[in-house]
Amino acid sequence: MIALDGVTATVGDFALREVSFEIGQGSYGVVIGPAGAGKTTLLEAVAGIVPVRAGHVRLRGVDVTRQAPELRRVGIVYQHSYLFPHLSVLENVAYGAHNPALVPEMLERFRLDEFVDRDVKSLSGGERQVVALARTLATSPDILLLDEPFAALDPRSRITVRRQVRALHAERGMTVLHVTHDFAEAGRLGHRVVLLERGRVLQVGSPDDVFHRPSSAAVAEFIGAENVVLGRIRVVRSSTAGTAKKADDADDADTATTATTATTAITATTKTATPRERMVEFSSKGLTLHAVSDMPDGEAHAVIRADEIALAPARRESSMRNQVAARVVEVASAGVIAHVTVEAGGVELVAAITTRSAEELGLAPGREVVAALKATAVHLC
Amino acid sequence: MWGTGITHYSAVGGRAAILTGMESIRFGRRPGRGVQRVMTVGSAALASLLLLFLVAPLVGVVGGWGAAGVRALASDADLRGSLWITLQTATLATLLGAAGGIPLAYALSRRRFRGRALVSALVDLPLVVPHPVAGIALLIVLGRDTPAGRALLTAGLQVTGSRTGIVCAMLFVSAPLLVSAAREAFDRVDPRLEAVARTLGDTAWTAVRRVTLPLAGRGLTAAAIVMWARAISEFGAIVVLTYNPKVVSVLSYERFTSFGLDDALPVAAVLIVLALVPIVVLRAVAAPGALPGSRG
Repeated sequence: MIALDGVTATVGDFALREVSFEIGQGSYGVVIGPAGAGKTTLLEAVAGIVPVRAGHVRLRGVDVTRQAPELRRVGIVYQHSYLFPHLSVLENVAYGAHNPALVPEMLERFRLDEFVDRDVKSLSGGERQVVALARTLATSPDILLLDEPFAALDPRSRITVRRQVRALHAERGMTVLHVTHDFAEAGRLGHRVVLLERGRVLQVGSPDDVFHRPSSAAVAEFIGAENVVLGRIRVVRSSTAGTAKKADDADDADTATTATTATTAITATTKTATPRERMVEFSSKGLTLHAVSDMPDGEAHAVIRADEIALAPARRESSMRNQVAARVVEVASAGVIAHVTVEAGGVELVAAITTRSAEELGLAPGREVVAALKATAVHLC
Repeated sequence: MWGTGITHYSAVGGRAAILTGMESIRFGRRPGRGVQRVMTVGSAALASLLLLFLVAPLVGVVGGWGAAGVRALASDADLRGSLWITLQTATLATLLGAAGGIPLAYALSRRRFRGRALVSALVDLPLVVPHPVAGIALLIVLGRDTPAGRALLTAGLQVTGSRTGIVCAMLFVSAPLLVSAAREAFDRVDPRLEAVARTLGDTAWTAVRRVTLPLAGRGLTAAAIVMWARAISEFGAIVVLTYNPKVVSVLSYERFTSFGLDDALPVAAVLIVLALVPIVVLRAVAAPGALPGSRG
């Protein structure tokens, strides 16, 4: 278990500020954030390499805030491997191994047998990274910190090493904290995502939660939400969870209908309403959308995933809450997916539909369409 | 293109100024080919003159009196004695300098502490003090009538007029060179390597011993050689603190002032050859792979 409670740490001019989150025993946590967010500093604070000025770091339930790195039994693998250049591959892997039997095991597991006597400077970036991983795992850490470990790897090695890491995590029940700037990678690997920016935690949650319920426009933009629109909320009616659920049901029924047509959205994953949420109207310029939210009246951002927006040639009889007239601005096809930019009420929205649907609808700049989306697809923050 | 830009933005003072500056960079007058040739030849001539100025006196002394110096080593007991004292004291001063200077250099390279800049400046201070002044300063602190001098005398160490004084003078003027070079050697070793070693189970000391010292080894050896070479050639501080027993530099000065140039030249030739040895060793050490642990 890794738990940080109000951790503040300074490195040069950069500071982590009051970082708090918890990664359960045996869980795979992922820290994501843009370059300079403090991701590496965060890992180093957990490892004891960077001193913590305030707050507490707990590992396995024990406060280790003032404990030396060598006593924390934490393994760290950096993006740049940091192999000891004066030692051979074998000497690197065996460097911290308490149990000598683990060294050949790691060499075999990572297919390093043929490299044992090699000078580490002669290895490729991918090979170096694998040696670094083997060196760390040969110490049998039950907490593993990974700092963008796949960034230097070619795509093929990345898949192989990622598979190895996942297998080891599953086999050994290690608690992993993995730093990346790639949200897709975070979604593939992590049970829990910590989103960091400028030394502060913006959001902690499951990958699905962060993806569908970003806590702010900054989070939404970082995780690649295509539509982040500033506007105002007006509460239409107070509602119980039942009402919100009803809105969901109506929308789901509607999606089921559209699923048989060329207007099908690519996915239909939506958030689940919470008890305090109610139906609201979100307005930006000339665009008004219905949404389900617990936010009060006032300024807010609407976050809409491109794959939640369906396009149709005309308004249809449907209980789908949001059907707005729009004009196609741009169609960008990339393989099976086409990103269609439409302008609705002075606001540009991006919809992701299949290229085939775009062709069937005859979408081209200037074409009038109807953009449809469920109330629950509009996340307000 | 930039010309168009300047006209276009002429109403916007700052931007126009920037563009004007860029134009001068882009279209600044290039010197003609003839001028360039004159500049190249002129620079080469100046560099050659400087090199000649630096080398000619030394080559002259060694070439003219090197053989006499070797003969003097066989026949001149005073010269042999001075040479032995010089080697002994320079080696001892270097060992003492390394014992204190390497940890100091490590701290200055790795630790961020209050007063770090001041400590750095203080370490470099002896380098800018004239060496006779350094000798006088040492006399004031370590002379017989000072508390430190009396304490050392009680411990059986007389600073003035002894080998201890020579070591003190050598240490004072040459240790800063070791600290500076050792600090550079540590700076070249990524601190994250030590951090990784710590997470692999090493204590702070063990990580330094197993990772940092082997990787900085070549630089530290070079730092010690630089200090030793500087100690061997020291004169100003030593002559103030300890005229006798004589190191080679003091002996050559004494021969010059008492007996003239002819007697001083063989001793000077020996000193120059002695100073050449560490320079040659330093070049060998600087070559990649010259020392164990120099693979990085």
